Amino acid sequence: MEFEHTTLSNGLTIVGEVNKSAQSAAVGFFVRTGSRDEAAQVSGVTHFLEHMMFKGTDKLTALEVNEAFDRLGAKYNAFTSEENTVYYAAVLPEYLLEATKLWTQLMRPALRDDDFNIEKNVIKEEIAMYRDMPQFDVMDRCRTLHFKDHPCGHTVLGTKESITAMTAEQMRNYFTNRYAPNNMVLACCGNLDFDPLCALAESKCGDWKPSDVERTLSFYAGSKENRREEKANLVREHICLISPAAGMQDDRRFVMSLLAIIVGDYTGSRYFWALVDPAIAETAAMQYESMDGVGVLYSYIRCGGENVSKVTDIIKGIFNDLSAEGVSEDELQKAKNKVLSALTIKCEQPMGRLTNLGFNWVYLKQYRSMAEDIESVKAVTVNDVNALIAEFNPGDFTQLSIGASKEQ
Amino acid sequence: MAERLDKHILKNGMVILGESMEHVGSAAFTFLLPSGTSTLPDGCCGAGAVITDWLFRGAGTKSSRELNDALDGLGLHRNSSITSSHISLGAALEASNLANALALYADIILRPSLNAEQFELSNQLAIHNLTALDDNPQQKLMLNLYEQFYPYPLGAPAVGKADELKNLTAERTEAIVKENFYLPQTIFAVAGKYDFGAVCKQLEQLFDAAHSEVDKQITLGQRGRKYTHEQHDGAQVHIGMMTETVTIVSENYYDAMAAVSVLSGGMSSRLFTEVREKRGLCYAVAARYHTLKQFAGISCYAGTTPDKAQETLDVITAEFGRLCEGISEDEMQRAKVGLKSSLIMQSESSSARAAGIASDYYLLGRVRSLEEIKDKLDQTCVDSVAGFLKNNRFEDYTVVTVGPKEVSLGNSEG
Repeated sequence: MEFEHTTLSNGLTIVGEVNKSAQSAAVGFFVRTGSRDEAAQVSGVTHFLEHMMFKGTDKLTALEVNEAFDRLGAKYNAFTSEENTVYYAAVLPEYLLEATKLWTQLMRPALRDDDFNIEKNVIKEEIAMYRDMPQFDVMDRCRTLHFKDHPCGHTVLGTKESITAMTAEQMRNYFTNRYAPNNMVLACCGNLDFDPLCALAESKCGDWKPSDVERTLSFYAGSKENRREEKANLVREHICLISPAAGMQDDRRFVMSLLAIIVGDYTGSRYFWALVDPAIAETAAMQYESMDGVGVLYSYIRCGGENVSKVTDIIKGIFNDLSAEGVSEDELQKAKNKVLSALTIKCEQPMGRLTNLGFNWVYLKQYRSMAEDIESVKAVTVNDVNALIAEFNPGDFTQLSIGASKEQ
Repeated sequence: MAERLDKHILKNGMVILGESMEHVGSAAFTFLLPSGTSTLPDGCCGAGAVITDWLFRGAGTKSSRELNDALDGLGLHRNSSITSSHISLGAALEASNLANALALYADIILRPSLNAEQFELSNQLAIHNLTALDDNPQQKLMLNLYEQFYPYPLGAPAVGKADELKNLTAERTEAIVKENFYLPQTIFAVAGKYDFGAVCKQLEQLFDAAHSEVDKQITLGQRGRKYTHEQHDGAQVHIGMMTETVTIVSENYYDAMAAVSVLSGGMSSRLFTEVREKRGLCYAVAARYHTLKQFAGISCYAGTTPDKAQETLDVITAEFGRLCEGISEDEMQRAKVGLKSSLIMQSESSSARAAGIASDYYLLGRVRSLEEIKDKLDQTCVDSVAGFLKNNRFEDYTVVTVGPKEVSLGNSEG
């Protein structure tokens, strides 16, 4: 594995991890923009814009774009989070330059009014789809409850109302400011030659204009509110807990991810033994998400309405025990084994490496090899985990529950 | 693609398959146990869901806690699934832990504790998971679709039926495990980094258990209803439809795969273009090929708000119909390159390959090499797909909807 990187004069950085023994290659544009960068009146514009980027350029129609990617046999798509919009494609090595060329074209889209109006319907369908998935709905809304006025609480999808009211002009303005080369990273991994890819980027992206794009970072410990909402068509109780955690720039993010495994992995965790094994809840899991200057530990628990108070007491007990006694050497070692094997498996495919490579540059301006990540995980001690528990107090959380009305 | 296929048959008839992969540090394995939903006795629908949980609650000399600690200690990423024909138990892990993991899985498969108290917990979890399906209309829809489409009991839902789960007992479920975990019909596959000689030697020792012969014949019943609607007061109408096509053994299999790819392969495929891009009817619309040994179908899912549900179904049905009028050379090329590139990328994942070779062996009695699949794809062409579609028109659909509004199947389907 070799790491390469270069920055064009307009600020676009290109990073590559070359692995000549891979069967495939992956490429992606990482744009440092997400729902946290939106003003309230354009809630959902980042995600809507991500859809619109596939609608073509002044020279390409949407169908031509899709046909061109499909002709390469590309596995391509995009995703939008609170902080990033990522466009990616995994292809056979011989098609990498062609796929990269397509993305460079699409990063300067036409954003036509007609396409905008049709795509609005698709976005509203996506919002409706997630409303029928209470496990996503509860997490999304708990996040808003947790972050309150902090920008990380902005919903990615927006609302039916904000999408309906949005104009194409508002989207174009947002695009011009956020999709500036100094706010983007072009990352590539796998079986590839770095220099031709850079030459291509220079010729296609070299004239993009930088902007004075900004993001203000602040840590926020969360509202710690506790709410329950009723929804007539639900049969189970869907519970989300969010507590504060270390951000992406914090070296203790590896400690935090191990803590999340110890507390809430799908097997063998404290949640598993206390809630799932005795059939009190059918699902209970915790995940760590590190973001720009802030982080969260999420828990999602699903159980029957009759078990809600039992679940609440058990969770309280789990966090009390954690604070009082900390974690054991044995459970830390098991968590490490799980994290390390997951890392190995994920990184065997170039597409698996791409997100690590891209995000490390977006957040840290740093290349980290898989071996360095492995070392960071191995180096974590019980004291590190226990110190983190004392500092962040994961038992002090924001809670949102969604379930059937209590009268039923 | 420098894959190498290994094969060995244990004395008891259990088949051991391996596909070594260069440049990986992981190994993935899967056991296909002949205990799928269609093999269960009447009245035991859902027993598979109970069994896959119960097996891990202690085995050999280890308690539930000890067993799970041992598995976690190996950094194992477990997966289990239940299909019409099999319970599949597998894992992916760092290659150096493979031998230890196989020893634990031998205990789980041959010597599970199957403790009665633990059964109650496994059974409760299965009942809760079934109940929770009501909060997941999309998944519920697809399970119902397979159940209606395939002749009984081939599409029986792995999650089970509420009354049958409630009536299950530890004794009955244990008897199913004892009878169905029949080693001569079990397939084991490993992919990634492994030493095949060592794996075979170890499995020969671990799985030398004798097993009385079981003669299992499944008597097929009727297919389900043509149209099923389930009222659900959600935001969308979830639409599932399925139509019959050739199975993997057919000489037209690759034509069928190409046809599905034209319909719903990449984003330039017909369904995505007509339903989402041109009309904005849906966010999610996709068709896929699904095969059992005896029957196969092409299923399609779409989710849309109630006032667009009828138009969505009509457009999808029209696209299935239009496919039989032929496809273009350009569509054919995109379908082929898409299928080939999926194949090669899959070859980089040890888990995908372990599952793939085990499934091939069950369905075909042999494992196709990646080269063979590539050659067959190369041989398909516009004419072969057109010929196949002409002789296998999509005319008969099984439709299921879950949501606030029913749809009409039109004059021909009523």
